[in-house]
Amino acid sequence: MTDTMDWLEAIGQDATLRHASADALNSTLEAADASEALMAAVASGDSAWLSQEFGHRDMFVNQASQTFPEGDEPERKDDDEEDQQGIPKPQSVPSPKG
Amino acid sequence: MTLGSHLTPLARSHIAQADVVFAGLSDGIVEMWLQRMHPDVRSLQSYYQEGKSRLTTYRQWVDLMMAEVRAGKRVCGVFYGHPGIFAWSPHKAIEAARAEGYAAHMEPGISAEDCLYADLGIDPGRYGCQHYEASQLLLFERRIDPTCYLVLWQVGLVGDRSLARFQTGSAYRQVLVELLSEHYPLDHEVIIYRAATLPIQQPGIRRVALRELPHIELPAEETVVLPPAEKLKPNLAIQARLAALDELEKAGMPA
Repeated sequence: MTDTMDWLEAIGQDATLRHASADALNSTLEAADASEALMAAVASGDSAWLSQEFGHRDMFVNQASQTFPEGDEPERKDDDEEDQQGIPKPQSVPSPKG
Repeated sequence: MTLGSHLTPLARSHIAQADVVFAGLSDGIVEMWLQRMHPDVRSLQSYYQEGKSRLTTYRQWVDLMMAEVRAGKRVCGVFYGHPGIFAWSPHKAIEAARAEGYAAHMEPGISAEDCLYADLGIDPGRYGCQHYEASQLLLFERRIDPTCYLVLWQVGLVGDRSLARFQTGSAYRQVLVELLSEHYPLDHEVIIYRAATLPIQQPGIRRVALRELPHIELPAEETVVLPPAEKLKPNLAIQARLAALDELEKAGMPA
């Protein structure tokens, strides 16, 4: 067990560790010399402590919208902004159904 | 999905065997975990932009993946949860690849919906279960059934017709509450749910009255669950028809 990411993966894959109390899990982590940030995150129940090791990134989560279902979606526009971002234009764009 | 717990062995194998991996994940640590599985993981996060239609972003994702497919690469798109649930690009990328003669398929994953049933102790088969994106529920005439569970996704940006915002305010949620109040009392308990992403997290479960919904903090990743407000109503006419069929069976005249 070498680092916090390994620990996170191990906890996620182990039935005992995944459902251990914070105290019990931290006893295991302390004995294995896990990082202070991980133990603080476990003790407090606040994973924000992990940003000390991994940094922090705001992540956007939406990957769909049913606001305009298939057939009602606005027309595609390959505007300048897309070109500036260097996105290759496809030879054939999948067109919305409907 | 939870880091370490919910990536299937087959999905992991697809990642390892790909030439290039695209990542549409909800957590930076999970993205770093993925980077340990493959030397060429390309995050899709940078294509989001406030004020830019998310449809444009999703189309860019498809274009990015297809460009690599056309270049002869074996491409794996990794999306958090189930890649086919509330995720536009994976379906479109597969459609596009197949339309151009490439082999493509979707590997199922463990979605927030799956975690929700486990963490809240809900069996969708007990009373039935409706799922809607919250904005679609507002913008279209849908039939709400208060005898079953109602699960509303993306309530944090309900009513955003521009698809360019990441959050809408309480006034938008008030419109949703007023629509729901046609079917539920305002003191009806609603559950605000968030699945655990890291294995040191617990699922987030809050309970508030429906009337409070506009006034609480509600990030886009949280889901709103309305338990049934009414009892199931027996369909007496159909039950009578089935009883008559049972009688025919008993009398030796199979229906």
